[in-house]
Amino acid sequence: MKQRTGTVFETSVQVRARVNGKDVELTVDPRESLVDVLRERLGLTGTKKGCDHGQCGACTVHLDGRRVVSCLTPAVQAEGTEITTIEGVAGPDGELHPLQQAFIDHDAMQCGYCTSGQIMAGLAAIAEGHADTDDRAREYLSGNLCRCGAYCGILAAVRQVAEGDA
Amino acid sequence: MNVRVDARDKVTGAVHYGDDRVPPGLLYARFAVATIGRGRVVSIDTEAAEAVEGVRLVLTHESGLGLKNSGFLMSGQGFGFQSLQPLASDHIAYRGQYIAMVVAETPHAAVHGASLIHATYEEEPFSVELDADGVEVFEQSNFIPNHVAGDADATLEGCEFVAEGVYDHPAQHAVPMELHNTTVMWDADTLIVHESTQNASSIQAGLAAQLGISAEQVQVISPSAGGGFGNRNSLQMHTSLAAIAAQRLGRPVKALVTRPQAFHNGSFRPATRQHIKIGMNAEGIFQAAVHEIDQQTSRHDLFPALFTEVSARLYGIKNFRGHQRLIRMDTQTPGFMRAPFEHAATFAFESAVDELAVLSGRDPVELRLLNDTMVDPISGLPFSDRHVAECLRTGAERFGWSARNPQPGSMTAEDGSAIGWGVALGNYPAHVVPVIVRVHADARGGLRVEAGGHEMGQGLRSALMATIADNLGIPASDVTLIVGDTRAVPQHVTAGSWGTASAITPVHNALQQLRERLGLPETGPVDLAAAVTAAGGATVTVESANRGPGQPEAIFDRLRSGLVAISGPQYADHVSFSHSAHFVEVRIEPSIHRIRVHRVVSVIDCGRVVSPVTAESQVRGAVVWGLGGSLREASEVDPRYGGFLNSDMAEYAIPVNLDIRDIDVSFVNKPDTKFSPLGAKGIGEVAMCGVGAAIANAVHHATGRRIRKLPIHLEDVL
Repeated sequence: MKQRTGTVFETSVQVRARVNGKDVELTVDPRESLVDVLRERLGLTGTKKGCDHGQCGACTVHLDGRRVVSCLTPAVQAEGTEITTIEGVAGPDGELHPLQQAFIDHDAMQCGYCTSGQIMAGLAAIAEGHADTDDRAREYLSGNLCRCGAYCGILAAVRQVAEGDA
Repeated sequence: MNVRVDARDKVTGAVHYGDDRVPPGLLYARFAVATIGRGRVVSIDTEAAEAVEGVRLVLTHESGLGLKNSGFLMSGQGFGFQSLQPLASDHIAYRGQYIAMVVAETPHAAVHGASLIHATYEEEPFSVELDADGVEVFEQSNFIPNHVAGDADATLEGCEFVAEGVYDHPAQHAVPMELHNTTVMWDADTLIVHESTQNASSIQAGLAAQLGISAEQVQVISPSAGGGFGNRNSLQMHTSLAAIAAQRLGRPVKALVTRPQAFHNGSFRPATRQHIKIGMNAEGIFQAAVHEIDQQTSRHDLFPALFTEVSARLYGIKNFRGHQRLIRMDTQTPGFMRAPFEHAATFAFESAVDELAVLSGRDPVELRLLNDTMVDPISGLPFSDRHVAECLRTGAERFGWSARNPQPGSMTAEDGSAIGWGVALGNYPAHVVPVIVRVHADARGGLRVEAGGHEMGQGLRSALMATIADNLGIPASDVTLIVGDTRAVPQHVTAGSWGTASAITPVHNALQQLRERLGLPETGPVDLAAAVTAAGGATVTVESANRGPGQPEAIFDRLRSGLVAISGPQYADHVSFSHSAHFVEVRIEPSIHRIRVHRVVSVIDCGRVVSPVTAESQVRGAVVWGLGGSLREASEVDPRYGGFLNSDMAEYAIPVNLDIRDIDVSFVNKPDTKFSPLGAKGIGEVAMCGVGAAIANAVHHATGRRIRKLPIHLEDVL
């Protein structure tokens, strides 16, 4: 670590992670957020930035299987982790995950900007066992805002897959 | 077509919004904003920002930008959401106005740099509330006549029943999920702009005007926007600054407006106060109404209030006096936000109608049926079509309205919650704007359709694809659909619920022309590959231009110039509106008096439903907006500081998943062929209109309290 004079930092950290099953090695600035690294440096723009303050959930990704808002996750925190973004949800030949298909079937979107985060949150809610009733699923999906108001479809899609898994 | 055509791309993260472009050599821009309510910048210190590693450029009003004014969209001759361009001078018109743009190699360096901008100011007094000292009152009739019919004031004197009230509505912000942004680059003398917008041509023409270049030198590309809601319907004030930075640095620049900054540098629904009087005779017929509105606007622009355009047409009230005033104060210019006036207007008017039902002991549905009309009382012209009665009857049936006990506070749920059932109507003008469509058919069976219009989630692509599939019987996979792209055809602002209705006509007409050119029958499925091959094999191109009834040929010049060109709702021999009826059940918890919307039944009369799946979603979304606008959303101001206080997604509460339960949606689905050949009218806004009143009326039914302001909070029903 080296520090320049005044308030200006100039430092960098090596980060190794697996992103959607691929090894990635990057030199990152401690100020850099995971969402910016994913979008601006790795070209994974499916992860969206709706507020940059952890308020909207559009940037939700999985870090070692756990959902996080990538805008509040410093990229350095990704060291040694396994990251899954929306681009890593479908199968290798592009076959959709059942939750992606359920989002289509229930038209669980309008503009689509929150959709990646909704799907990542939905997958996590199902895995956590928090999608077993309508009300619990609503609660555990409420960290992901949808300004178009596609909540009925989002709930229906998540519940359908949760029931299928049960 | 039973799915949204871009759904697969949306669930895989493959759609490219404006902010998703990462061209080589990209630089990042962030803004610093004014921290005073009004005044001027005396000095601005950029040294610390410039010293940040990676910062390449700082622009301020002292940077010799030479920006010309792009004008205010609603002046009819401009392109911007407001006429005021930050950084063009030292003038600060409102708290939160941009004072500097910092451009850096990385987003975090730009954020860091912007945080180090420090300015000193000369402060001036400012006003940010309707009642504040220092506001200026402007009679809107100076440029838009008030809606008046008969003699409302005199007639009110003799009415058996009069409902009178003052209704307050706060400022609200649209907060589309995608932040305001732009990614700009120069290719020699051509400026390429990737920006999510509802109005690509206004960005094109506005930038050209600001930068002193020709519109042909500007390309605006917006295939999909992450939400619009009126918030992206004109040139934003950050785009020209990014263009100048990109020019000076010779590299692409992506500018991002943070959420709090967007609360101050984008349009918003203005605060309003409405005074309403409706008079009714003993037979339950409305005799007269007065609707007076004070609406916030900025010092620098006159954003018109169009409340009485809908309230005067909800019923057949022969004596009507509308009066609209603008209150000039020190904010950015307010603007369109989903049903910008109509949401508040129908909240107030339909609350007063409910009051008349209660006063006279009449059923609210029956009272509305009694006052239905097929003639517009203002112009005396017939409505082209109107199915308000069917909306009410279908809705009452689906909701189970007949089981309602009219006595307030009489219905209780098992858990002790007070149940309230409310109903209200909504209406929204049916406009048509000019749209040009170009279609190319090739010998491999491919069809390229270039249309005027923008996709921001409402489902324009799906509606156009449905129109194409209906006409030619070809699969979506054979069609390339280009929207929101100035390189293809001119792009009028897509707003006011006119997008689909305006675009499907020229798409249909172009396909009919194509059939003719290829010697195909007028209807039925076609084999395009065979037809084009038989015609010689060369790609066949046809073009169709459509304009609103009564619009002159010259309207296409306005379209090409990026100016608004709206027709309706009053046409030569008819008046056209979409209509809605909403039935709402609220439940108010006995302990903390939390108000929950338990279920909603909405019936929409929008003529033909072109794309059923996306239309239904639009209605559900609009109902969610109605709920947010009535129970959650208020942009708070503080007279000590100016600006908006709760300017982020944590403090400005929009509905979350847990707020939303069942929303039952149905359509009358009868084409209004007097309005247009295909008979489709708008959906996105009429479906929000009336939700607020239905909720407020349900709250009255649950509690006996008439709440005349939005949002309604639990402290209002304690």
